[in-house]
Amino acid sequence: MSEQLAPIKSAKQLNDEMLSSTRTPTWRWYALAGILGAIVAWGAYAFFYMVTSDMSCTGLCRPVMWGIFIVNFVFWVGLSHSGTMVSSILRLSEANWRRPILRAAEAMTVFTITVAGLFPIIHLGRNWVFYYLMPYPNQRELWPNFRSALLWDATAITTYITGSTLFLYLGMLPDLAVARDRAVGWRRTLYTVLAMGWRGTAREWLIYHKASTLMAALVIPVAVSVHSIVAWDFAVTVVPGWHSTIFPPYFVIGAIHSGVAAVITLMIIIRKVFHLEGYLTPLHFDNMGKLQLVIALLWSYAYFVEVQTTWYAHEPIEWETFSFMSSHYTGPLLTMIIGCSILPVALLCFKAVRRCIPAMLGLTLLINVGMFIERYLIIIPSLSHKNMPYVWRGYTPGWVELSITVAAFAGFALLYTVFSKVFPMVALTDVRELEAREAEVKFGRAKLTAIAGDD
Amino acid sequence: METLGLYNNVEEAAVAVDRLVAAGFTEGQITSLTSVPYPDGVLVKTWRHSILRWITVGSGIAGACAGFLLAAGTAWVYPVQTGDKAIVALYPTGIITYEITMLFAMVGTIVGMFLEMKLPAWGGDRPYDARISEGYVGICVRVDDEKGAERAQQVMKETGALPTIKEAQVIPALEDTA
Repeated sequence: MSEQLAPIKSAKQLNDEMLSSTRTPTWRWYALAGILGAIVAWGAYAFFYMVTSDMSCTGLCRPVMWGIFIVNFVFWVGLSHSGTMVSSILRLSEANWRRPILRAAEAMTVFTITVAGLFPIIHLGRNWVFYYLMPYPNQRELWPNFRSALLWDATAITTYITGSTLFLYLGMLPDLAVARDRAVGWRRTLYTVLAMGWRGTAREWLIYHKASTLMAALVIPVAVSVHSIVAWDFAVTVVPGWHSTIFPPYFVIGAIHSGVAAVITLMIIIRKVFHLEGYLTPLHFDNMGKLQLVIALLWSYAYFVEVQTTWYAHEPIEWETFSFMSSHYTGPLLTMIIGCSILPVALLCFKAVRRCIPAMLGLTLLINVGMFIERYLIIIPSLSHKNMPYVWRGYTPGWVELSITVAAFAGFALLYTVFSKVFPMVALTDVRELEAREAEVKFGRAKLTAIAGDD
Repeated sequence: METLGLYNNVEEAAVAVDRLVAAGFTEGQITSLTSVPYPDGVLVKTWRHSILRWITVGSGIAGACAGFLLAAGTAWVYPVQTGDKAIVALYPTGIITYEITMLFAMVGTIVGMFLEMKLPAWGGDRPYDARISEGYVGICVRVDDEKGAERAQQVMKETGALPTIKEAQVIPALEDTA
């Protein structure tokens, strides 16, 4: 081998481009953060109003004691599912196209699970005793009850939020060192502390890769367990419509469906806002679109299996619940089926759609609208029509619940907006590693990539 | 103590490593500082032995014990009789044990990683140059005395090492980063 050809972009250029998101915020950024902050503040007011008055300001009433707060909880846990999981799978499978996507996906997981973790606490009637949810020795012999599914949720979410945060931090470690070396002021202090004195020695890289592989392998079963446990919140009860063995895998597939869609949506927004068209290319959307297609097919199959079992068995209580849901919520049900199944399966088969950014944005937003409706349709109709007809009753969320729901979306967006201003939104050392690996060297008359395969 | 030489690219750094080895320094004394990873042997040969996996396994086992004791032990020590249900319920115990196992394993992996990297290490006698982040390659030699350092610096100078920045280590590439 001889003469190395000049790379297309220098390391400095790549750093400049990929760290551009951390530049001094513009007035538009402040305006966005201000609007989002105001919505979150309104949600906080609604929450404190609920705490200081009572739960009668919500739409909750017997028998529907799990309302939109739990819908939100399941939805946000579902969204959190894919970020870290997709990132882990792509890391383990050494898919090179993963590199520009990693940070957006991992950060999404951390913030969505943070939002999700708030909802069981918001849902509690007496929020100030939220610590009963945590697993600790009950020396007072009152609580916590380890048999309660809420306590499993708290344990699983604590594990997942810790693991996802560590996974995000691990991925950022070399990037923080790069950011440290070119930052000034408070940013330099922040990056210096977080980079832990990273210098990029050969030994540090070796251990770093071992740790990345281990964390990727560990975080996947945790992600699966979290949504399985959320599914068990429903499946281990005897409520008609919930008591189903297919719920855990069905929930996991649904979670991946909405999570992958959310990753694609965020990729599109980040790409546009931070001018990362050179890094998040149509190829990435094509590949993510294929992944979305496979998951849409799996989700459609799981939903069909769940419904056809109810339909064919025609067990009276189950059938009553299903009939009520399909007749009283026909519009949302059709929206869900079209948004989560028919349109994704029909359209994502086409490469032109997968590579069309506006089409992907519309489709992925529609999938998540459908998935929110799906969570709603699982929870509300089943509780409305439980075993005893004389307590059948509908549910309409009140202003407090709607305010908190909107504030949750704003809160997630705010966290993401602030994160994107402080930390690099593209895994820059991962991308630069790929550039170094794919740099061409002349070999005879041919040009070969500098580094083939793994070390 | 360590001596740092900074090079424009991988090829120059590799030549420097060869010359350092020829000058009597061992592979174990030499390491590279890069902002992207290179396969073992491109610049230096790494001491590949690592106990990180065992730290992860050990942390997981510790987590399993902690989780089991928390769930089953709590139920056993502070029994809450509910109907005819078992005091130590297997299903919740299994879930709590599993989650705490994974939590400990993940935290253990990160702690083990930093232990093996010997981080955190802020400042101290650890030569570094911020230009490494911009694609330059550092070659660092661990020596016992000043004489060894002078010898290493001589080889580095002969192989085209750039002067390192010691005082101002900030590269003002992002001028508006404040």
